[in-house]
Amino acid sequence: MKNPLPRILLVLGLLAGLTSVSAADGKLMITMMPKAKGNAYFITCKVGADKAAKELGVELLFDGPTDSNAAKQNEIVENWITLGVDVITVAAENKEGLSTALRKAQKQGIKVITYDADALPDARSFFVNQATPQGIAWGLLDEAARLCGSEGEFAIITATLTAGNQREWLKLIDERLAAKYPKMKLVAVRPSDDLKDKAQSEATALMSANPNLKVIVAICTPGTPGAAEAVKQAGKVGQVKVIGLGLPNENKRYVHEGVTESVMLWNTSDLGYLTVYAAVALARDELKPGAKTFQAGSLGSFEIRGDNILLGQPFIFNKGNIDQFDF
Amino acid sequence: MKRYFREISVTLALGLVLLGLAGFAPAFYQPQPLLSLATREAPTLVVACGMVLVIICRQIDISVGSQFSVCSVCAALLAARGWPLAMVVPASAALGALLGAVNGVLVAGLRLPSIVVTLATMVTLRQGLNLVRQGAFVNLPDSVQWFGLSQAAGQWTLVGAALALLVAFGLAMRHLAAGRWVYAVGTDAEAARLAGIRPQLVTFLVFVLLGALTGLAATMNLVQSPQVQPMVGAGLELKVIAAVVVGGVAISGGRGNLWGAFAGLLLLACVSPALTHLHIEAYWEKAIQGAIILLAVVADGVRQRKQKF
Repeated sequence: MKNPLPRILLVLGLLAGLTSVSAADGKLMITMMPKAKGNAYFITCKVGADKAAKELGVELLFDGPTDSNAAKQNEIVENWITLGVDVITVAAENKEGLSTALRKAQKQGIKVITYDADALPDARSFFVNQATPQGIAWGLLDEAARLCGSEGEFAIITATLTAGNQREWLKLIDERLAAKYPKMKLVAVRPSDDLKDKAQSEATALMSANPNLKVIVAICTPGTPGAAEAVKQAGKVGQVKVIGLGLPNENKRYVHEGVTESVMLWNTSDLGYLTVYAAVALARDELKPGAKTFQAGSLGSFEIRGDNILLGQPFIFNKGNIDQFDF
Repeated sequence: MKRYFREISVTLALGLVLLGLAGFAPAFYQPQPLLSLATREAPTLVVACGMVLVIICRQIDISVGSQFSVCSVCAALLAARGWPLAMVVPASAALGALLGAVNGVLVAGLRLPSIVVTLATMVTLRQGLNLVRQGAFVNLPDSVQWFGLSQAAGQWTLVGAALALLVAFGLAMRHLAAGRWVYAVGTDAEAARLAGIRPQLVTFLVFVLLGALTGLAATMNLVQSPQVQPMVGAGLELKVIAAVVVGGVAISGGRGNLWGAFAGLLLLACVSPALTHLHIEAYWEKAIQGAIILLAVVADGVRQRKQKF
């Protein structure tokens, strides 16, 4: 018989309302922590993760803070260490803060994988990387080029002018634009401050100031429905096309109305699926540092670059497939 | 003339900007985008009407952005459950009034500084909303957008309603006794009390009124699109306070009027589209808006010094 302590603690955890799983005999215990528990994005991650856990016959424990709270994440990791789980997978709210707790877990023999948002490299074995900056930037620009026939004016709506991710994407877009699409002209980059309504005002002004505008690219998720509403209200559906990053539910109506051509994001359910597969392979010693590829059940093979397992190219939602996603 | 120096100078500045745009970017003057701009600013104008009263009363409320978000999301959830707009609008205004009353009780009742009280309610309301909603959009039924009217009719209704409120408040502040009480309390609360006015009651009521107007403005924004983002209204407090201060309402209380605040709002609202039309980089936007506010505050400071000596 194994040490009964983890079992007792698990029961205590159940009583405290912390967990919702039943104790399992001999099964691997995989945990998954989102940045925030009720966030639609992470709930779809869990859908894929549950599917993988079922296929692999492991227990999946899904828990996290109710809002994005770095301190609460630490607390939950500490609980999991006491519980003696086999693998911890986590989307880190705060890189440095969480890494201390994760290192402690590793010292206790618990394997650690990050997904969606990385911790420091020495605090985890692998990071399941949902999309490379190049994948996002080039994906959006190529889609914009396809829509305007690689020539004409387009504009970008960004989050804030100082947002790190967006600046990196803008740089990559600029480089590829010069190299590959010399006939396309980026007329303006406008900030939306991550507000849908401001994005709408910005898009309205962009259209009246640039009558030949063909495409508006929103590189932050609130920007995409905001720009679409502006195009619709300006009566320029078909003349100005909208693409951007975004969640399917926020953009469905515009995609069906033909205002928004396509919305790009990674497939979050696949992200959860891949993370659990990687976690189990790591626990079973099937996934080792230095591996170049990784097989994840029904999704097939994934590339590993360094210690990043790449989910691959971003996913494009359009009229044909957007109704299959609910997040 | 000298008395209304600040209002006149803001209006002149606005006129100059509009003239400049006519010369360098005539495309700014297209009916549809202009009507859209006015419609987008209509809810801000309604909140500004309330903020003018609070600032004249020598108080400030920086929680209006959070109040706006809470009212927007609650109103959206009611509308999504099938409540008719005729009930959603008063419900949202009532909720806003309640939130304003909380500020009012703390400021007028407990005599706490309004900047601290409303800072606390600003953070509490915003984080509470994040906790409950997790950033999820609320989708509205189709009948909500533009009150079920055509787009143009809906837009004119909103702009008309905001202007009507502006005129009503502008006249009331000048001609009604209640309006003069607000100036009296803002100028010198003790003197007002000796004159038979109840300063704490007036202070409480301006907070309630600002809350109610914020709740109303939230529904005026709600009907403009088919979905509501819970972040809506973030930064609204800065926008509104800036417009009011630029419009010549003294942050030290007792001075200013709604017409100036209206001109201030228009001036600041023009900056962003003007830069887009002039093809100037967006980095300048906040810098220019900041410079306008600074200029206004310096003008106030200079005037006050002159009065003292």
